[in-house]
Amino acid sequence: MFLSPEVYKKFEDIVGEENICGDLAIMPSYHSGQIGAVVLPKDTEQVQAIVKLCNRLNIQFTVMSTGFIRAAMPQGCIYLDMRRMNKIIEINEKDMYAVVEPYVTSAELQAELMKRGLNCSIKGSGAQCTAIIRGHGHMDLSTGGDDRNQLGMEWVTPAGDVLKLGALGSTHEWFCGDGPGPSLRGVISGRGSGDALAEGGVITKAAMKLYHWPGPAAFELEGQSPNYNLKEIPPNFMVRYYSFPSVPQMYEAELKIGESEIMFALMGFNVAMLSANISPNMEMELEVIEKLNKEVQGPGFYVIVAANSPEEFEYDQKVLDKIISDTGGKSLAMVEDPKVGALVLIHGVRISVSIRETFRLRPVGGKAYGFQIMGQRDVNIKWIDEAANRKKELIKKGLGADDGGVYFGWSVENSHLGKTEIFFDPSPHPESLDAIIDWQQTTARKALEDHLNPPTHLPLSVVGPEVSNYHIWSKKLDEAFNPNGTTVVLPSLMG
Amino acid sequence: MFQKDTLVKIVGEKNVTDESSTLDTYSKDLSFVNTLRPDFVIKPKNANEIAQLVKLANETKTPLVPVSSGAQHFRGDTVPGSGGAVVLDLSGMKKIMRTDRYHRVAMCEPGVTFEELIPAVEKEGIRLNLPLLPRKSKSVVGSLLEREPVTMPTYQWDISDPLACLGLIVGTGEEFRTGQAAGPGTIEEQWEAGAVQKAPYGPGSTCWHRLFQGAQGTMGIATWASIRCEILPTLEEPFLVGSPYVERLFELSHWLIRLRLVNECFILNNTNLAAIMAKNWPCDYQAIKHALPPWILFYNLAGYEYYPEERVSYRKKNIQSLTQKIAVESTKALAGISAGELLQKVHRPSEEPYWKLRYKGASHDIFFLSIADKLPGLLDAMNIEANKASYPASDIGVYIQPGVQGSSYHCEFNIFYDPQSPSEINQVSQLSTAATLSLMDKGAFFSRPYGKSTDAIMNRDAATVTALTKVKNIFDPNNILNPGKLCF
Ligand SMILES: Cc1cc2nc3c(=O)[nH]c(=O)nc-3n(C[C@H](O)[C@H](O)[C@H](O)COP(=O)(O)OP(=O)(O)OC[C@H]3O[C@@H](n4cnc5c(N)ncnc54)[C@H](O)[C@@H]3O)c2cc1C
Repeated sequence: MFLSPEVYKKFEDIVGEENICGDLAIMPSYHSGQIGAVVLPKDTEQVQAIVKLCNRLNIQFTVMSTGFIRAAMPQGCIYLDMRRMNKIIEINEKDMYAVVEPYVTSAELQAELMKRGLNCSIKGSGAQCTAIIRGHGHMDLSTGGDDRNQLGMEWVTPAGDVLKLGALGSTHEWFCGDGPGPSLRGVISGRGSGDALAEGGVITKAAMKLYHWPGPAAFELEGQSPNYNLKEIPPNFMVRYYSFPSVPQMYEAELKIGESEIMFALMGFNVAMLSANISPNMEMELEVIEKLNKEVQGPGFYVIVAANSPEEFEYDQKVLDKIISDTGGKSLAMVEDPKVGALVLIHGVRISVSIRETFRLRPVGGKAYGFQIMGQRDVNIKWIDEAANRKKELIKKGLGADDGGVYFGWSVENSHLGKTEIFFDPSPHPESLDAIIDWQQTTARKALEDHLNPPTHLPLSVVGPEVSNYHIWSKKLDEAFNPNGTTVVLPSLMG
Repeated sequence: MFQKDTLVKIVGEKNVTDESSTLDTYSKDLSFVNTLRPDFVIKPKNANEIAQLVKLANETKTPLVPVSSGAQHFRGDTVPGSGGAVVLDLSGMKKIMRTDRYHRVAMCEPGVTFEELIPAVEKEGIRLNLPLLPRKSKSVVGSLLEREPVTMPTYQWDISDPLACLGLIVGTGEEFRTGQAAGPGTIEEQWEAGAVQKAPYGPGSTCWHRLFQGAQGTMGIATWASIRCEILPTLEEPFLVGSPYVERLFELSHWLIRLRLVNECFILNNTNLAAIMAKNWPCDYQAIKHALPPWILFYNLAGYEYYPEERVSYRKKNIQSLTQKIAVESTKALAGISAGELLQKVHRPSEEPYWKLRYKGASHDIFFLSIADKLPGLLDAMNIEANKASYPASDIGVYIQPGVQGSSYHCEFNIFYDPQSPSEINQVSQLSTAATLSLMDKGAFFSRPYGKSTDAIMNRDAATVTALTKVKNIFDPNNILNPGKLCF
């Protein structure tokens, strides 16, 4: 046990002996770091008491909602495991928001919502992750992403104060998280780490914005894991994968699809990622990649049409056909098969996960190298495309895993914005890792020198001065809201 | 205290005034806040001059009151809240730096009004998500900073929309840019690289622009803003739906927005629609008002690049099944008011005189956010308060704007009065104070507190005040930016 019995007892007094553990044999199941104790608060009061105690005793704490990410874990810290706070508190259909606690997963929330003809934004990390945290995912084109889906929030600050943002603070209503006056959602959205996650303090409840769902109340499945699938593609739904002769043509199509507001989901998975989504195992996945590679003409994306009426469906399809034909797109025959289309549909909407494509070809626990950049999609494509060319050169020399030098991305909010990502895994070559780290540094420096975006992988002291000195302002916010340094923020996922 | 010659050195002689008639015009507005004369009115021309002025204000502990829109002002936020203040009038900063169809974005300085920016973006084939008939002199940047509601809720993904990025001189005198604009590189270098200041997020994981919106100039002075724009439709077909039952119109607007069928979508009562549409005063106004049903929902269908007629046509069909279910009817005209004519007005700033001033010369606005289930009770509460104050409830204009893709409603009461009549001023001022308290008790959320009720509103949420004070101490530690406003 890292904590002294007296200190341990103080935390135990808050949550009860059933809900604390500091056993050295159990702690590694949470994290490889040396955690002081894991505590399982049941409500906001307990969270606040834990945070206040941490401040008093000068012990650092960190929080896990669904724990998919490896949070920062300083030795001896208190780890708040939020699994007892697992309630959907309210689903307001008329005003289209749901209030959830941190251990509610996107899958659970979405299942309840679909019964009511509603849907939520889901992070690309998967529907098994908490619904409460900001991020980007497969349905961003029509559901938006990032902190733009959070409304009212209850936040235990790093110092242990309870802040109820927006309407919640004065009227107990969840529909708005901004005001009175300036919106403190700016602060809660994160401080310091430069990662797109809530950080610092503990979000104990949040209202998430909801969207219309034109599909069935529940998807009917057939088969058994891992060979299961939707029984059928619902009426007024259609799934396709289009490939294009070039990246500019693909982006042109993406932009027109967003502008014409016809699409429910658009995800620019490359062939390998598509294969990961539709293959139940590794052997098949490699076979499918080979088949798909023969059929595609270049980069592409899958789309899900989900219309609210037969007339809308007809219109959406007609516009889609026109855009695809204008931009030289070609539909992948394999995905036109309703069985395969159904797999893409359920992965895109219900599972919404990039676990397979992110992890399958990577050693377990392997570090991810690359970039995920949110913002102005055309300018980011240009930057990542150049990085992909440099990646291809290294692959040719055997210095990186051969995935064809691909990257991927997708449009957000009617293609107003978008996300672009590139990964690069090492090969067995002894110099591979060094080459990839060098590639990463070169790409980051290009972003800075060419005035494209504030890159990850470079020290904040290098990036910050070029970016409105935001590191200094972030530090000031951190000092104001985290005066004792007790909250532990997450180092960048990629860094 | 500022010395005039120092100011002249920074902005030039003709841009500094201490002439009493000019100072007088900045000392009051149509709100009920106390009259207070500034010491100077300065018209800076660029960010560099603003930064120098803010630094000087820090050295001399001089309050600065930024103003972007031209007169008339309504909310008291641009009237000095403390003595010895200097007004920074930014209305002369009129550059439109970008109108960009491909990226659907525009960028302009704070002096640019809706009247100026609307045609400039339309020339490119894009348009702004406009507030309802802003006055001609209203600054676009000012409107964005105030989180004013917009008439196309379907395109408002977040309450901060359509603001993209901000260029700021914060209270310390330092330059700061929010979102994608933050860097790397200067704005010009970013343009050269193809970057257009569109993404609002960051830098880092903080959403900085949120801290400057709703701040009434107390955190920083915006020197420009970039604005997300939408595509100009190739075809539009607007409709009116009248009803004595406002709940039915809430239900209809919910589905219109939820299914993303319409662009412009808002509800007015007969008083406000008459105030907007009447041509001959007062006879037209009374006639229209009495001929109209109590509540009117306005919505507009649009077609874009691809098969616009078909788009509008299937939507009309889908809406028909909604209106049948809800037992309301969409029409092209109601009581002689044509939906097309209203649409034309909604695409532009208000004609002169500003529509809120036409009836009696002045309007006091009470506005807040709420949700569908609460609104009917809040409308009743306002009527009760009007009756108590002997103000004819039927004279109050009501504007209800669904927002953020249907997750909230902006509800606004326009209380018209004669600014020359001390008794009416007194009556409306008292009504405003009493109604604000009563509405708050019934769950109205005053997210943008202005004027005399500010303290009562802010005091409902002590934790937020404490947190806001921490932010204020970072960006404006000497409290030189618009002191006396909000909780600062
Ligand atoms: C393989 C992989 C793929 C991913 N793909 C995407 C993607 O496509 N899009 C995307 O947006 N993200 C992606 N992510 C990151 C992802 O957003 C998060 O992992 C996920 O959404 C959060 O759920 P979690 O289970 O990881 O949360 P946790 O691991 O519980 O927490 C994640 C972080 O948030 C903090 N946190 C957790 N709960 C709270 C709380 N209640 N209050 C305050 N702070 C809290 C934690 O301390 C931790 O730092 C990916 C991550 C991985 C590992």
